[in-house]
Amino acid sequence: MAAVAVHQFAECITCHAWSPDQSMVAFCPNNSEVHIYKLFGEKWEKMHVLSKHDQIVCGIDWSLKSNKLVTVSHDRNSYVWSQEGTEWVPTLVILRLNRAALCVQWSPKENKFAVGSGAKSICICYYEQENNWWVSKLIRKRHESSVTNVAWHPDNILLATTSTDGKCRVFSTYIKGVDSKESESSSSDLKFGEQIAQLDLSVTWAFGVRWSPSGSILAYAGHNSMIHFIDDVKSNPSAQSIPLRDLPLRDLLFLSDRVVVGVGFDCNPMIFTADDTGLWSFTKFLDQRKAAPSSSRGSQLSEAFGKLYGTSKQVPSNDTVEPSKPRGGAHENCITCIVPLWKRGNTTLCRFSTSGLDGKVVIWELDIPK
Amino acid sequence: MANTIRLYLTCIRNTLEAAMCLQNFPCQEVERHNKPEVELNTSPGLIMNPVLICRNEAEKCLIETSINSIRISMKVKQADELENILAKKFLRFLSMRAEAFQVLRRKPVQGYDISFLITNYHCEEMHKHKLIDFIVQFMEDIDKEISELKLSVNTRGRLVATEFLKQFI
Repeated sequence: MAAVAVHQFAECITCHAWSPDQSMVAFCPNNSEVHIYKLFGEKWEKMHVLSKHDQIVCGIDWSLKSNKLVTVSHDRNSYVWSQEGTEWVPTLVILRLNRAALCVQWSPKENKFAVGSGAKSICICYYEQENNWWVSKLIRKRHESSVTNVAWHPDNILLATTSTDGKCRVFSTYIKGVDSKESESSSSDLKFGEQIAQLDLSVTWAFGVRWSPSGSILAYAGHNSMIHFIDDVKSNPSAQSIPLRDLPLRDLLFLSDRVVVGVGFDCNPMIFTADDTGLWSFTKFLDQRKAAPSSSRGSQLSEAFGKLYGTSKQVPSNDTVEPSKPRGGAHENCITCIVPLWKRGNTTLCRFSTSGLDGKVVIWELDIPK
Repeated sequence: MANTIRLYLTCIRNTLEAAMCLQNFPCQEVERHNKPEVELNTSPGLIMNPVLICRNEAEKCLIETSINSIRISMKVKQADELENILAKKFLRFLSMRAEAFQVLRRKPVQGYDISFLITNYHCEEMHKHKLIDFIVQFMEDIDKEISELKLSVNTRGRLVATEFLKQFI
């Protein structure tokens, strides 16, 4: 019930994604490149470096069935990479954005992907077979600020987005020709870009939206250290908001319809569970922290400050102010990204990986009671 | 007297723990740019309410935070004219060398003596709790420094005057 593996890949990792067989991991080490590492036995070896972007790559998603990598960057571009032999070949996707792209996700059927951007719009891109390229359709209305996260509903048509205006919105992304065979009667508004719902639960910026595996529950986190759960968004929404004890969350993951993992500025994943009546509550932190003794040394920076000033200052024993306790635990800095790791044949998810600003990718494993 | 400073600094530390939750955020106004939103001040939706922590009328600390940056401005205790001059000169000395400190702002915010600007890049390179330790330690040390300076100015003045007047004995 804890961290199974910890790998230090770089100084700082923006986002990461796993290959379908989980032998390779692609991540962005806080620059304009994407590094792909492969596990050989016990060691990780750098296999490929994808460097087509000009600015930091902020979103990576690896499709599980078609083995394609999509990357988006602050330079307003997006590339779809497909592996041909030993090389990764990029295909530029014209997103028609005039601001940075912030997040990307493949749809469940992997025929579309959604990009959220700082241009207050979302791009839905799909592949056009006749012209052999990716076409993007924009949803420009509605958002009043940058779109921070996007999440696809399992039906491949509904898309939930969170934005820095604090609202979570659900749109329909039905595209004739791509979705025509899968149009379900449950989504009545089939027009592209139609807003199904707008949720005003959070007063501050919203991040980390996710649908539950069955698609009946929507969850997202607000920067005021709250997490919101909404049941049955389409017809009869009912919401629960849970305040957190500590710092806000950045990303969420549904392990099942009743268990959610949240990661954020606490550097420690949090588990939320729903009981039989559907009431959500915080269960525990995942990482067991060792109770660290409060050291009397001040920070290294304050020593440097003393040296800069010239006097040989002994850092005082700090009986006036308590220094912050050093943290134990797998992550040392904010966790920004959480990715599921499905076991072949399993229907329930019990493994996932997190990456953070400390440059580590940590794999966690949980036993989930049925 | 010693107790109030501990409360003041603990309050500032707790506020900074909550406020220093920064993330990389590209500019919404200008494409391909990444600016500290607290300095830019154009999108009210991206800036949080500023928090002012006052110890008394003379000492206070303003913490303004946004999605990717935080600005901490402080006003240092200046009891008399001499401390006024010493504080001004000392803090100007530090501000001019802001490059070396990385988190220091070259000019203090209007109405304050010194300002720090911490961006998400600083939080990525350095540990957040160490940054907070630095700021709080700085605040604690500033008072001591200025008292020491004042003492040494007075001592030196006394010495110089004694030596000078000896020739008239």
